[in-house]
Amino acid sequence: MANINTNQNHEMKIAVVCSSNQNRSMEAHSFLSKKGFCVKSFGTGNMVKLPGPAPDKPNIYDFSITYDAMYRDLMEKDTELYTQNGILYMLDRNRRIKPNPERFQLSKERFDLIITCEERVYDQVLEDFENRERNDEQAVHIINIDIQDNHEEATIGAFMICELVTMLYSSEDLDNEIDEILQEFEHKVNRPLLHTVQFY
Amino acid sequence: MASTSTTNIGGTGQQATDTGSSTSTMKRDLVKRSTAAQFFHKDEETDKQIEPTSSTHDLVVELLNNAAVMPKSADKIANLKKVKELIVYKSPDLLDNFLDEMLAYQSDSSKDVKKFVVGFMEEACKKDFECLPKVMASLLMLLGDDDVNVQKKVILTVSSMFKLALAWISRAKKTRPEMKSVWQHLTELKTLLFDSLESANDGIRTHVVKFLEGLTLALSRKSWDSEVPKKSEDDMSLEQVPENNDIVNVAHLEEEGKKAFNNLLQFQSSPHISSINLMTVMNALSNIAKQRPYFFDQVVQSFEALHVNLPPTLAKSQVSSVRKNLKIQMMSLLRHPASCDFIPQISTLLTDLGATQSEIAKNTPKDIDSRKRKAQQEISLSSASKKSKIVVEMDDDDDGMTPWVDRTSKKAKPEPAQKQTAIDVTAEDILPRLSPQNVADLVLLSMVMLPDSMPAQFQSTYTPIAAAGTQAQISHIARLLATQLTMAGMGKGLGELQMQVKLDFALKESETIRSSDDQPSSPKQLIQTVVEKTKWVEVEFKKPCLTLSLPFFCQQLPPTVRKVKQFQLSSVTKKLNESSITLLSNEAMKRILQAEKAASVSHVDHHRTKLLASLATLFGESTKKDLQNYIFNDLRTRQDLAFAWLYQEYAHCQGYSANLRSNKPVTLDGYDACLTKLLVGLLEIDDHHGDSLFHRLLIEAPVITDNAMVVVKMYCVIPEHTEAGMKTLSQLIINRPAHRIKFLDLLLDFTANEKLEVRNIAIKSAQKLHESGKMQAEIERYANFQLKKLLQPKPPSNALKQEEVTETWTEELIKAHLCLHLGLLPSNHKLIHELANIYTATSADIKRTILRVLEVPVKGMGMESPELLTLVENCPKGSETLVMRVIHILTDKAVPSPELVDRIRDLYHKRVPDVRFLIPVLNGLSKNEVMEALPKLIKLNPMVVKEVFNRLMGSHVSNDSVYHSPLTPVELLVALHNIDPVKCDIKTTIKAANLCFSERAIYTQEVLAIVMQQLMEQDPLPTLLMRTVIQSLSMYPRLIGFVLNILQRLIVKKVVWKQKKVWEGFIRCCQRAKPQSFQVLLQLPASQLKDVFEVCPDLREPLLAHVQTFTDNQKTHINKSVMALLEEGMETNAESKEADKTEMIHSGNDSEKDGEFHKIESTSENSIQKISTLTPVKTVENSPQSSEASKEKSGSIKISLHIASKADDEKTREPRNGDKEDKIEVEEHHSRKTSKSSKKEDSDEEESKSKSLSSSRSKQSSRRSSSNAGKKK
Repeated sequence: MANINTNQNHEMKIAVVCSSNQNRSMEAHSFLSKKGFCVKSFGTGNMVKLPGPAPDKPNIYDFSITYDAMYRDLMEKDTELYTQNGILYMLDRNRRIKPNPERFQLSKERFDLIITCEERVYDQVLEDFENRERNDEQAVHIINIDIQDNHEEATIGAFMICELVTMLYSSEDLDNEIDEILQEFEHKVNRPLLHTVQFY
Repeated sequence: MASTSTTNIGGTGQQATDTGSSTSTMKRDLVKRSTAAQFFHKDEETDKQIEPTSSTHDLVVELLNNAAVMPKSADKIANLKKVKELIVYKSPDLLDNFLDEMLAYQSDSSKDVKKFVVGFMEEACKKDFECLPKVMASLLMLLGDDDVNVQKKVILTVSSMFKLALAWISRAKKTRPEMKSVWQHLTELKTLLFDSLESANDGIRTHVVKFLEGLTLALSRKSWDSEVPKKSEDDMSLEQVPENNDIVNVAHLEEEGKKAFNNLLQFQSSPHISSINLMTVMNALSNIAKQRPYFFDQVVQSFEALHVNLPPTLAKSQVSSVRKNLKIQMMSLLRHPASCDFIPQISTLLTDLGATQSEIAKNTPKDIDSRKRKAQQEISLSSASKKSKIVVEMDDDDDGMTPWVDRTSKKAKPEPAQKQTAIDVTAEDILPRLSPQNVADLVLLSMVMLPDSMPAQFQSTYTPIAAAGTQAQISHIARLLATQLTMAGMGKGLGELQMQVKLDFALKESETIRSSDDQPSSPKQLIQTVVEKTKWVEVEFKKPCLTLSLPFFCQQLPPTVRKVKQFQLSSVTKKLNESSITLLSNEAMKRILQAEKAASVSHVDHHRTKLLASLATLFGESTKKDLQNYIFNDLRTRQDLAFAWLYQEYAHCQGYSANLRSNKPVTLDGYDACLTKLLVGLLEIDDHHGDSLFHRLLIEAPVITDNAMVVVKMYCVIPEHTEAGMKTLSQLIINRPAHRIKFLDLLLDFTANEKLEVRNIAIKSAQKLHESGKMQAEIERYANFQLKKLLQPKPPSNALKQEEVTETWTEELIKAHLCLHLGLLPSNHKLIHELANIYTATSADIKRTILRVLEVPVKGMGMESPELLTLVENCPKGSETLVMRVIHILTDKAVPSPELVDRIRDLYHKRVPDVRFLIPVLNGLSKNEVMEALPKLIKLNPMVVKEVFNRLMGSHVSNDSVYHSPLTPVELLVALHNIDPVKCDIKTTIKAANLCFSERAIYTQEVLAIVMQQLMEQDPLPTLLMRTVIQSLSMYPRLIGFVLNILQRLIVKKVVWKQKKVWEGFIRCCQRAKPQSFQVLLQLPASQLKDVFEVCPDLREPLLAHVQTFTDNQKTHINKSVMALLEEGMETNAESKEADKTEMIHSGNDSEKDGEFHKIESTSENSIQKISTLTPVKTVENSPQSSEASKEKSGSIKISLHIASKADDEKTREPRNGDKEDKIEVEEHHSRKTSKSSKKEDSDEEESKSKSLSSSRSKQSSRRSSSNAGKKK
């Protein structure tokens, strides 16, 4: 990955999107940024949801609440539980990456590649594009890889995303080659991908 | 990064060459600048020290300089971005200065820089259209860049450049050469990009699709249901392009837009499209459908087709991506209001794509419940749709295996609308054939064509069919099959349509035969289509209808289509000579004309109408004449044809016609000729229906040409058409604001027409228009203009068209100029001032006419009109008569309003002291004012005075209105008596008083009694008192008692003899009132009595006689001196008799006495006679005393007779009879006369009549009296 910038003058802007911008997207965000990619992460949900003491009692936060605040809130609530289920660890990691979760629909930034971690999120991203004001100035590829929302899968997912991104990154003419790259990758990881192009 | 070859701005030697030169220069990787910029920079350097305001400029220069030497493209871009920010947004005035510098970076080695420059170009052009010419060449060059990313950026930019250029060109007032070159560049770019759709690079194709989307949007029209994103609301679209632009032709552009759209449709249905391309084109199509609902149906159908015919090359995950995308797009289409017609299709498709019903319901527009219900029925069907897909997939994969379909043949895609109905028809056809036997055959037949592996999309979407075998599912399958068949160009529905189309076009063939090289190409094409379609039909007939074929519609319509057809046509046709062409075409036309019945029987008359219209438009004069004759032969049934023809001509002239694709400038000659012909034709026919059609034709014609206006003019002049014509004109004025002035002028011209009926109708129309508030200013201006013509010494020559110019203003002419103005008066009162101004300046003739015609409009305005009041108040000098007339009209039969009275009073007192002004408002004035004006009023012409009195007595007011006269009749008469003789001579006053007396209905005896009573109490006594008393007595003899009473009281007052006139009157009165007045006379002091006898000696004897009848007792009451006076008179009696006789002769000579006295005499005479009838007349004959008395009487009668009758009458009679006889005769005559006609003495005529009557009687009586005389002797 060292020669990334020599390969392409134009840095590829990547967005990783999951539902709450906590686990899967942040895992990939963390991973990709360590590899030197220009990456951002987002959530598409209305609120940030974190597991609570019971499946029907999730902790719900607004996207404006910082990771740090969440961390401290959960510490207060039940340190042991949230330490054990890894939530606190996750929040701790997240707050080192950026201050607070970001909602994809509110972002005005333009990316070259958007990777979603769940079909529902992919749908929401597309729906957002449908409603966005567009100028038809720049194309963006949107790719979905289904990743289950748990720590292990998130880690595996981050690896996969990183591999995919690397493959795409090394392409000279992404628009032309992406179909083949995706087919190849799909075959390799044996997971179904969704892919489409939208224009900003 | 070739930093070595870059140059600093303002740097020393490097002379810049032109930027947009060629690709070779670009490859040299040089950054260049225009010389102009360098000069500018030099200026800038000098400015730098002086002006701090130029800091932006400096900053830009610095940034550009730095950027030029920067090795890293990212830094360069950062700098350039700042420059862009500065020159595009912060100080756009600098844009022009630095544009060339910025464009120079297009030849930078870095593609990011290039991409940035492309983006900059777009933004610069958006800011200032003037950048377009400079940018165009660069853009074209950049499209040829080695780097695909730069190319892509350019492609995306081109569509927005297209919009900008279109806006620039269409908004410019004048086209400039730069515009032309920009447009040429763009056309070039467009052609390049169209070709790029087949580029090997997937990304390029994706971007070209985007370009085509933008192009389609720009080259089509927005409609009311266009759902335009906010950001692109101001984007150019075709409806903003003016039709008559030199550079761009709207129709042509629209065609281009459709072409772009069709390219997209084709691209979407191409068999090996990549998933990215496919999704992009789907998005593009759905964007187009939403923003241009015009394309909605085609887009929905293409999606439907796509859904069942997904490209076989797609991988499994790609299929799901595409399906997901399709679902999203369908959902967004469903949300669009235009979806209501497609809800069944869309919701079926969505259900197939896995959408739940609640999702669909949520996205369905709310306002179409009925549609929704229908849609849901459809959905229930679609649950059974899965099985059909097996068939579909099979079709997909048997690529090229169906031998009977010639896939290389180029088939025109059936029109979308037709296709839809064709599918329905075919589905109906198929449904009953789906018997178990047939279906089984079908499945078995398909088995052999099954692919080795399961296609991806089938695998991903297959679910077992739940409702297999139900009727709903069967019909759904029938429909799916029908879709496939129609796509393949088969099926009953399509066949039917083609048959119909073929029929239509067969008729056109006659035209094609005629068509030479310069003829429009479309007929050929259509014929070709027919041939093709016939072929399909044949194919269909040969093969069993259940045959499945590959849905290959997607591969149709390659660009070579036209060439092949051209070849075929030229090979099968040869040129005919001119005469046979004409002959054939005429005969063909004739046949169509004759086919009216046949057409209506087979319900194709609208096609026939259209056909005739088109043919007539394209062909020559003779055809047009034929058609015209044909139309007029049966106007009622053929009017539609007339309209169709007219519209066709218009479309042809405007270049909308499908048969003409030339860029000829728009001339409406053909249309004009057609419209004029039709109108003239209608003008000539004598049919009531012609009127209504004439009207309709004008109202519905797309444009009214000048020639048509001429016809309208002719039409309106014909009196029986005038009314309809005016109605038409009014409607035209209302409905066609653009040419309003033209129509209005025409209408107004008619208001001054010499024909009264035409003029009146025109004026009525103008009035209506005026009242409706439209065009008021124009109408008024015209009215004033007409009015002002009256000021000219001679009538203007153009006032009457054909007639020779008359030298003087005739009344008709004057009216013609006046009428419109007067007509407008009631709706705009202000116009009255203009009239007043004109009035003052015109000749007497015109003034008279104005006064004559003023009544109706002024009545229309009413007394309350503030403008009228203002007019009265201001009363321009010279317009007094006008104002007077106005006032008279206003107050005629109505009580004047206080406002009007005030105004007139002011006018009278302050400005025009003409008492006539007061007459109309007498009733509104106060008592004192009337009294004051009275002397002046009665001096006027007797007729006027009578009018005044009428007004005062209220006899002119209609009964129902409440009327209060300021003066009661009593007051009036009293006032008359009190008029100062200095102000008004007695004669006039008497005349006025006589007018009062003549109103017997008002001046009853009671009224007169009150008047006398009041007058008598005055001191001094009014001069005319006694005259009035005498008059009253003569009118109402019963007043005798009252009169005597008055006389008595006058004596008591002891003043009566002090006023000479009154005293004279008193004596006369006594004379008339004898013998009753004797009692009064006796009360006079002796000296006065003497006076009486001196004036009236004939009173003495009767008075003495009267006294002698008294008893002694009574006599003692008589004053001694009076008695003495009486007795003294007795002695002179005999002498006085003689004196009487001489007097009689005297008076006969000077019978022409003072008129006034004369009248009193005659009336008093009568009254006395009447009184005398009360006394027994017979005594006169018997007693000598009484005969004496009668002699006395006759003496007095003689005097009066002389006065009353004509002198010569007397003379002729006198010599015939003896003196005495004559006297008796006259007496007799008179006594009869008075008894018979005393009431009629007022009129001379009747008097003379009765005289002649009595003279005949007098002959008899004279005989009798002569015998009497004989007896006496």
